[in-house]
Amino acid sequence: MAPTPVLDRTSRHWALLAAVACVVPLLLQLPITLAWPIAAAGAVTTALAWRKPLPAMLRLLLTLLVIGAVLSVSGARFGRDTGCALLAAMLAIKPSETAKLRDARSLIGFSLFAPFATFLLDQGPLSLALGLTAAVGALAALQRFADLEAGDAKFNVPLRSGLRSVLQLMLIGLPLAVATFWLFPRLASPMWGVPDRALARPGLSESMRPNDWLDLMTDDTPALRVRFFGPTPRQDQMYWRGPTLWRFDGEEWTRPLWARGLPAPETQSASMQWDYELEVEPTDRRQLVALDLPLHAPANSELLGDYSLRAARPLASLTRWRMQSAPPRRHEPKLTVMLRQVALDLPEGFNPRTLALAHQWRREAGNDDAAIVRRALEWIRVEFAYTLDTPPWGRNAVDEFLFETKAGFCQHFSSSFVVLMRGAGIPARVVTGYAGGYRNPLGDYWVVRQSDAHAWAEVWLPDRGWVRVDPTAAVAPERIYDTLQDRAPGSDGLLGDFGMPAWNVRDWMRRNWNDLVLGFDADRQSRMFRPIGLGKVDGQQLAILFSIAALLALLWMAWLSARGQREPDPVLRAWRQLGNRYRKLDLERLSHETASAWLDRVARIRPELARDLRELSHRFANWRYAEHQPGTRSTRAAKDLVHALRNHRPKRSHL
Amino acid sequence: MATLAASRIPASALWRHVRAFALSLTRPREPETLPVSIDRRRVYVLPTRFGLFYATLLLGMAAGALNYNNNPALLLCLLLGGTGLASLIAAQMQLTGLGITAIDAEPVPAGQLLRVRIHAQADPSRARRGLRVDDDDLLEAALLNLEQGRGEAELTLQTHQRGWLDVPRLRIFTTRPLGLARAWTYFWSDAPLLVLATPEAEGPPLPGGSGEQAQSRLHPAGDDVHHLRGYRPGDSRRAIAWKPSARRGTLLVREYEQPSGADVVLDWHQLGNLAYEPRISRLARWIDEAERDGRRYRLNLPGRPALGPDRGAAHRDACQRALALLPPSAGFAP
Repeated sequence: MAPTPVLDRTSRHWALLAAVACVVPLLLQLPITLAWPIAAAGAVTTALAWRKPLPAMLRLLLTLLVIGAVLSVSGARFGRDTGCALLAAMLAIKPSETAKLRDARSLIGFSLFAPFATFLLDQGPLSLALGLTAAVGALAALQRFADLEAGDAKFNVPLRSGLRSVLQLMLIGLPLAVATFWLFPRLASPMWGVPDRALARPGLSESMRPNDWLDLMTDDTPALRVRFFGPTPRQDQMYWRGPTLWRFDGEEWTRPLWARGLPAPETQSASMQWDYELEVEPTDRRQLVALDLPLHAPANSELLGDYSLRAARPLASLTRWRMQSAPPRRHEPKLTVMLRQVALDLPEGFNPRTLALAHQWRREAGNDDAAIVRRALEWIRVEFAYTLDTPPWGRNAVDEFLFETKAGFCQHFSSSFVVLMRGAGIPARVVTGYAGGYRNPLGDYWVVRQSDAHAWAEVWLPDRGWVRVDPTAAVAPERIYDTLQDRAPGSDGLLGDFGMPAWNVRDWMRRNWNDLVLGFDADRQSRMFRPIGLGKVDGQQLAILFSIAALLALLWMAWLSARGQREPDPVLRAWRQLGNRYRKLDLERLSHETASAWLDRVARIRPELARDLRELSHRFANWRYAEHQPGTRSTRAAKDLVHALRNHRPKRSHL
Repeated sequence: MATLAASRIPASALWRHVRAFALSLTRPREPETLPVSIDRRRVYVLPTRFGLFYATLLLGMAAGALNYNNNPALLLCLLLGGTGLASLIAAQMQLTGLGITAIDAEPVPAGQLLRVRIHAQADPSRARRGLRVDDDDLLEAALLNLEQGRGEAELTLQTHQRGWLDVPRLRIFTTRPLGLARAWTYFWSDAPLLVLATPEAEGPPLPGGSGEQAQSRLHPAGDDVHHLRGYRPGDSRRAIAWKPSARRGTLLVREYEQPSGADVVLDWHQLGNLAYEPRISRLARWIDEAERDGRRYRLNLPGRPALGPDRGAAHRDACQRALALLPPSAGFAP
C-alpha cells in the first residue's frame, strides 16, 4: 500500500471549490458580522498555505484566534448558531493544510457538515438548493481523489463527465434514500433538546419595545399557513392571539414570569367553532398563536393563564398544530384581586397628561367602563392617524402620542390605549399576535406573514371578562397613511400585475414542499398508510416495512449498477442498435465482425437486404475510419448519420 | 519463489495471525489455470479508512437530523449515504465480469526485475479504469486500465534464483469511484514464469572452434571485399561503391566478409574445475557471447541430448532455458 499521494493542482482546486461550495450556504445564514470575517479568514489562509503548509504553531494560533473571535462576536450565550459559526470558522482555516490526499479528504469530510449545519439554521429553498449543490460538488471532489489515488488522474476527466457520473451514483442511491426517509421509524420526541439560537430571528416574543417591530412589519415572509376545516372567520375577525403583556415600565411591555405558571381560567365559549391546522414556520421561540381562544391545548403544548399557548419545545423547525378555537362569550369573568391589581398597575411618574385625562373620563362616566372604552375608540376614530413613520419614543411617550403626534402604528395604539384604560381604573393588557391573513386561491389556504404582526388590547369588563379591543382598527380609513401599501403580497414587486399570481404559485409550492418534506414527522409517518386502509402503523410494523423497502431498493441499486454503461458516442450507439435489429433474421453483427465483413455475410445470405445496408455501412466506415479531414466529422454529418442509422430497418417484406 | 515476506507496515503478531487467517479464507485458495473470470463471489468489498470516517460522519448527521426531526438535513444525510452505498456496488462492479486471460513475462536472468504482464479482458460496455494490481503485500501496485474491453498491467517481480518462478497470488483492487471502499479480488495463476541463469560478470573468453568447416559471414564492417551487389533501401551510404556505380549507371554496394571461427562447443563436462552454479553462470555468459559474435554453438548438458550446433534467437532461448531448468545442485553429482 503506497503512502498517501501528494495532491496535484487540479485535485487541489476541486477540494477547495467543493469546500467553498459547502461553506457558502452556512455563511449566508450567519450574521454579517460573523460571515464576512470568516470568509476573509478562509481566503487569507488558503492564499498563505498555497505554496507550502503553514507551520503547526501558526495553525494552532489561527485556530485559537478564530474561536476567540467567533465567541466574542456572538457574546456569552452559546447557541446553535454559535456552534455553526464555529464550524464555519474551523472550515475556513482548514485549507492551511492541503498538501496530501488525506488532508483533502478530511477537508471534504468535515465540509459535508456545513450543509447539515445550514439546515439546522434554515430550511428555506435557497439553503436547500445550495446545500444540495455543495453535496454534489463534494462527491465530485471525492471521485477526483479516487482517480488520483488509482494513478489514473492523468486522464483528467472533464468537469462535466465527472459531475455526470456523480449524479448517476446519486440517482442510483436515491431509491434507498427515499425509502429510508419515509419509512425509517422517526422519533416521536427528541432524545436531547435542540440548542437555541444565540441571536434570535424576528418574531413574536414575550416583550414589546416601542419601534422594535418595524423590521417585523416590513418582513413579507410567511409566519403561518392555515387551513380551515369547515367555517372560516371573516378576514377582519382573524386575530391570531399570542402572548399577553401585563407589565409596563414606561418603555417596555413584558409578560411577567409568574403569568406562565397560572392555570387556564374558566371561560365560556360561543357556539361558533373553528377547526383549523396551523403550519408554523420556525421561530426558535416557544410562543404559539391561536385564533381567539383555543378550546384545548394541542399535544406538546400547554395552555397558559392568559389563554395563550406555549410549545413544549422551541419551534426550531416547521411544525403543525391542529386546533379548535371559539370566540369567547365570557373570558375569565372572575378576576382575582391579585390579577386585577397587576392589570391596573402603572409605573409611577410617567405620562401625567394621559392619567389626568383618564381620571377625568372616569369622573364623567361613573361606573360605566364600556362607555370609557367607546369614548376612547371614538376619539381615535376622529383624531388619530396610522403611519409607520414615527418619531422615537421619549419619556412620556404615551402623552406625546395621545396629545401631540396622534399618529403611529399598532404598538403605539395598543400600549397607549392600555395605559389610558388602566389610568381610568379598567383592567387592561396588551395582546400580541397576528391579525388578518391572505387567502391563496391556489390550494385554498391562508397565509399570515410576519408583516401581519399586530398588537391590540384586552380590557376586563364586569360580567363579560376580557374583551378584545383593537384601537388601531378604530382609525378612520381615510387617515391610514404610509402603511404597507397593499395587503396582497407580491403586487409591489418587479413583476407588476403578475406579481401576485407569481407569489401565489411560489407560496403554494413552498407549502407543498413543507407539507411533503419539511413537516414530515413521527405522527405523520404513523398516519401515512391511512389512505390505503392500513390505519395507524406502529414502530415495529414500520421497521418491517422499512426493511422490505430497503431490501428492494438495494436490489434495484444493484440491478441499476449492473446494467452496462451506455456507449457515449451516439454514432457508435446507433450503429450497434442497427446491428442488433438484424437479430430476428439471425444476421446480427457479431462483436468481432467489421462493418464490411458483416455486410459481406448479409449480402451472401440475403442479397436483397444488402443494398440499403451497403450505403449505410459505407458511410459508417467512412465516418469512423476515414482520414480525419476538416468537415468530415462535423456534428452535422454525425447527426445525419445517426438519423439514417436509427431509421434503417431490415426490410421484412421479403420474409 | 517470491515469498510473501513480512508486511511493510509494522503489525503486531496477533494482527498478522488474524490477517493470515482471513487471507486463507478468501478465494481462490489454490492456484488455478488461466483464463479465469472474476465472478461476484470472489470480489470482496470493505470500507477504506476514509469510508469509515464518512460512515461515522453520516451516522452523526442522521442521529442529529432524526433527533431534531430536521428533514432537509436527514435527506442530505440519506442522499450522501445512498450515494456511498451505490459507490460500493459500483466498486464491486468494476471487478465482476473481468477476465484474466494470461500472465506472461520476458525471461530475465535471476537477480533482475521480472516484468510480469497481466492481460485482462472484459465486456467493453462498462468502463473499467484505475484498477490496480499488486500482491496484497510487498509489491508496488501496477495500473490496469481497460480500453475497449482489454488492457494489461505490468507488474515488476524481484527474481532471486533461476528456474521456475511461481507467481504469487495477485490482487486486483480499486477504490474508485469515490474512495470510500476498496473492492478487491485475488487470482492465482498456476503457470510459473521462467527465470534465467545469471551469466557471470567476467571470465575466460569463448573456447575456440572445434568444427572443420570454417565459417564466414557477410559483415558490412569486415575487411575483405567480397562482391558488389545492387543497392537496397536501408543500405548505409558509406557502403556504396561510388566508382563502380558511376560505371554501371546504377547504385552498387560493397559487401564484405569476415572470417569467423568454427562451431563452438559449450560443454558442461569440460568445466569440471568449477562448482555447480558458477558453471551454469559461465555457460550462460558464453551462450550470450557466442550469439553476439554470430557464431554457431552447441550446448552439451548432462542428462540430455546436445543442443545445436545452431545460432539465432530461438537457439539461444532454448539453450538458456535448458540451463535455467537444470536441477538444483543438491540432487546432482557432477
